[in-house]
Amino acid sequence: MSENILSVRDLHMSFYTSAGEVKAVNGVSFDVKRGEVLGIVGESGSGKSATMLSIMGLQGSNGKIKSGSIFFNDKDIHTFNMNEIRGKSISMIFQDPMTSLNPVLTVGYQLEESLKRHKWHGDIRARALEMLERVGIVPAAERIKQYPHEFSGGQRQRIMIAMSMICKPDLLIADEPTTALDVTVQAQILKLMKDLKNEYKMSIILITHDLGVIAGQADRVLIMYGGKIMEQGTRREIFYNTAHPYTKGLLRSVPDPESPKKRLISIEGQPPNLLNPPKGCPYVKRCPQAMKICLDHNPKAYAISESHVYSCWLSERSEN
Amino acid sequence: MLLEVKNLKKYFDTPAGKIHSVDDVSFMIAKGETLGLVGESGCGKTTTGRTIIKLYEPDYGKIIFDGQDITNLTAKEMLPYRKRIQMIFQDPYASLNPRMTVGDIVREPMIIHKFPKDEHADRVNKLLRLVGLSSEQASRYPHEFSGGQRQRIGIARALAVEPELIICDEPISALDVSIQAQIVNMLEDLQQELGLTYLFIAHDLSMVRHISTRVAVMYLGKIVELAETDELYSRPLHPYTVSLLSSIPVPDPDEAGKKNPVALEGEIPSALNPPSGCNFHTRCPKVRPECKTLDTILQDEGNNHLCSCPFV
Repeated sequence: MSENILSVRDLHMSFYTSAGEVKAVNGVSFDVKRGEVLGIVGESGSGKSATMLSIMGLQGSNGKIKSGSIFFNDKDIHTFNMNEIRGKSISMIFQDPMTSLNPVLTVGYQLEESLKRHKWHGDIRARALEMLERVGIVPAAERIKQYPHEFSGGQRQRIMIAMSMICKPDLLIADEPTTALDVTVQAQILKLMKDLKNEYKMSIILITHDLGVIAGQADRVLIMYGGKIMEQGTRREIFYNTAHPYTKGLLRSVPDPESPKKRLISIEGQPPNLLNPPKGCPYVKRCPQAMKICLDHNPKAYAISESHVYSCWLSERSEN
Repeated sequence: MLLEVKNLKKYFDTPAGKIHSVDDVSFMIAKGETLGLVGESGCGKTTTGRTIIKLYEPDYGKIIFDGQDITNLTAKEMLPYRKRIQMIFQDPYASLNPRMTVGDIVREPMIIHKFPKDEHADRVNKLLRLVGLSSEQASRYPHEFSGGQRQRIGIARALAVEPELIICDEPISALDVSIQAQIVNMLEDLQQELGLTYLFIAHDLSMVRHISTRVAVMYLGKIVELAETDELYSRPLHPYTVSLLSSIPVPDPDEAGKKNPVALEGEIPSALNPPSGCNFHTRCPKVRPECKTLDTILQDEGNNHLCSCPFV
């Protein structure tokens, strides 16, 4: 058993739309280690969700994995029957808990559905009650009979977490799990996720645009932009030894807690259109340090340390 | 004072009962300043903003704009004040008419407020450039723009009639991080150039700290604390503000490790049946028996630092 629960290598994925081919993921490689929280930061259109949909086999009829490989538990993920993997070994929670729950079914039915589907050995109702209680929905015996609209936003996200963990998965993909929640509720949910991760000894991929959430939760971080990984490293490497101009730009565009009134340094311009992505680095049009070579040639990945890698032509310059 | 809000109340009747959205809110905004209004969803911050501009009729209290009581003005009498008070909305997708060109969207307020016709085209071009778009883009439609660009269009529309006060209702929360900074910088520049006054409604506490002169914290329809920004963030008094500020995730791993959020139990109660006494008593980590019955009023704790909790 290797130390990685998930390995993605050179993944290319496109959506075919009436306007043309949208190259959503362009050569993405990363690992998720057992027991770690991997944070993924990226703006809309950075390819973070498309990468996750590819892993889950949920890219839809107009989405196509063009090349690359995905290994789960050391086996090519395409050799598995995804219906047996989803919800059991890999589960997913989404940003909006209201649209992810079925409004006409009781919470109990939805919790037990995944146990039945994955042929849970043991008392299904007892497991559902245990899980509901564990995420703090009490009294579980009464609340299990209720419908999603009878719960608040934070409680619905707790129910989603209970559903995603009920079969004790190895990997949880959490796509902006707290973005729709208020800060005090966000703090509760993040703590719950962390506690459950340790209890179940699983790995989490935490997707968020909130650099504060990343700083508090992630062991390692991927920074994505325009369908590519710009930089990856441990959380300390990303925040204290920032290498890529895009990561630097992101960190500078949020208020500094030390001097909150200082003018923000924004990243000018707009993210690239992936219908017609730039030939070279996707960040070239907005990068304050862009060079001629960045326009036409995609930068190679440069390793600063074993864990810290970034893709930028500036690395060549610092090497010489 | 450009704006004074006194004991404002706004209730909504629903089949389930009365929702106490805004429940006795008072504050003032001086010319040229930015008042941040923060709170969690359902606390009434958006309703407060909309009632000020009379998109909702207030149930009680007074709204005084530039010395004039506008609380009971009819729609027609309100028109000149609508020109002076404009609004920017949260969702740049829903707040622009998809069937109007950008030029028409920015021009519409000028038509309503009878700006000389021969100036319209010129003003549209000038406004689009002011918000960082080009005048050639006037003939395009909202769907051709990204979220950040649409928010710029919404800002150009608000500026079209030379307002004095702009109510910014979560103007950046739908935008990506790198675009948020662009919009915030632009709002600050425009304030400087045009002498604007902002009511900045948001739930992102670090952005509010950045942009605001003073900050008011709302909970369940009431303001629980109001002070100068630095004062409020460095010396929060109300237990709700304390836990709210301690819950902000900081973008710094070492600081995040040291931080110990003051955990609040549960979630904001329903405004249908707000708790008695201090309405925060159901979640307050420092609750006392008398909190269930006491009347909360904002009291000055020194330095113009207003707080509704008597036990600080």
